[in-house]
Amino acid sequence: MGEVIDIHTHPAFFEAICPNEELLEQRRQALGLYKAGATSLAHIHNQMQCAGIDRLALLPLDLTTQENQFIVSNEEIRQLADLDPRRFIGFASVDPYRPDAADALEHAFGNLGLAGLKLHPSRQNFSPSSSMLDPIYAICLRYNKPIIFHAGMSLEPNTSMRYSNPLEFEPVAARYPKLRICLAHFGFPWVLETAALLLKYPNMYADTSLLYFDSAREFYDHVFKRILGEYWIDRSLRHQVMFGSNNPRFEQIRMVEALRNIGWRAGTLDLVLGQNALEFLG
Amino acid sequence: MFFHKRNTLLTNQYNQFILITDEVIAAVRESGVRNGLVAVISSHTTTGIMVNEALECLESDIDNALKRLVPEDHPYAHARILRSYGSTAGNASGHLKSMLTGYSCLFPVVDGRIVKGEAQEIYFMEFDGPSQRSYTITVQGE
Repeated sequence: MGEVIDIHTHPAFFEAICPNEELLEQRRQALGLYKAGATSLAHIHNQMQCAGIDRLALLPLDLTTQENQFIVSNEEIRQLADLDPRRFIGFASVDPYRPDAADALEHAFGNLGLAGLKLHPSRQNFSPSSSMLDPIYAICLRYNKPIIFHAGMSLEPNTSMRYSNPLEFEPVAARYPKLRICLAHFGFPWVLETAALLLKYPNMYADTSLLYFDSAREFYDHVFKRILGEYWIDRSLRHQVMFGSNNPRFEQIRMVEALRNIGWRAGTLDLVLGQNALEFLG
Repeated sequence: MFFHKRNTLLTNQYNQFILITDEVIAAVRESGVRNGLVAVISSHTTTGIMVNEALECLESDIDNALKRLVPEDHPYAHARILRSYGSTAGNASGHLKSMLTGYSCLFPVVDGRIVKGEAQEIYFMEFDGPSQRSYTITVQGE
């Protein structure tokens, strides 16, 4: 059994970067996770061990121009990744409207050594195919870094579904065939659109961080075996789907368990749970 | 006299039996109460406080009995997004197991010592771990 990587987690409540209750409350409101508490590194390790997860990708969010705040900065991500380099993979975020966006991203990749970029068009309020993003995409290509795009619905405040339909990302995938991009949350509710895009564009990935209804087993069965054809991922998309949890909004332990029992071939499970993430990260 | 303390712990398994008898005995001693009652109360709704004999075989039987009564895979109404939390509630089984074990226990204190049967041990029961948990020990008397 190979390494298990959770490609989609939000470390906003990690104790090491939550020094006071005021900041904790600010992050609760910003993420719409109203009862989240500060979590110790020991607890995070326990959660990972119980779920059988070896590494976590930690995602920040730069909302400088839209909300005058970061929900975890690139520097905080570096700080967390340095706490446990074996387990944590740090991503960068940049607000494309910032006049210094390109410089900030160069710094995140060149100096902070972050592993990829997280962008959230719905909350950062931009179209992924806007020419404003071209310098950002060029930097990702130059550093060979992937992008995780929020796609589909979001439970966060100040976040509509505008710019989150998977079809918004097709021009990017087509224009930049060497740019690896992931549609987070499998683009729910547009999961058929996501599946179609994955089939056509080998540089597109999707993660499994969707648990909007029911239990993990029930929802994964519904999405991956009834909305999508039962064999589509196992036969055709097995190299492009990555395990992601969206923790702490969704629960890692039961999500991993549900995927392990979904009926895919063992080789497909290894790909989805870790190997695809390694390919994606480059 | 009234004595009250909160103990915290990090659980590291999904379902876990944690013996806390020694902590309760120590709290009774620390309280200075000679004659009264000691109450142990969990602060959560997916944990329990259970009194039983601390044998490996019984822990296994109790764990299996709880799993038979409350299977993980069942269409629980609680399996949904809770708007007040902003997150998914996938822990119905934890709530139901907590209901079965109860969330507290009570023992007499006589001559400064807890009065309990030879086989009785006190467990903190985790039903939705790993997590950061706490329970209180309250000693009241004279």
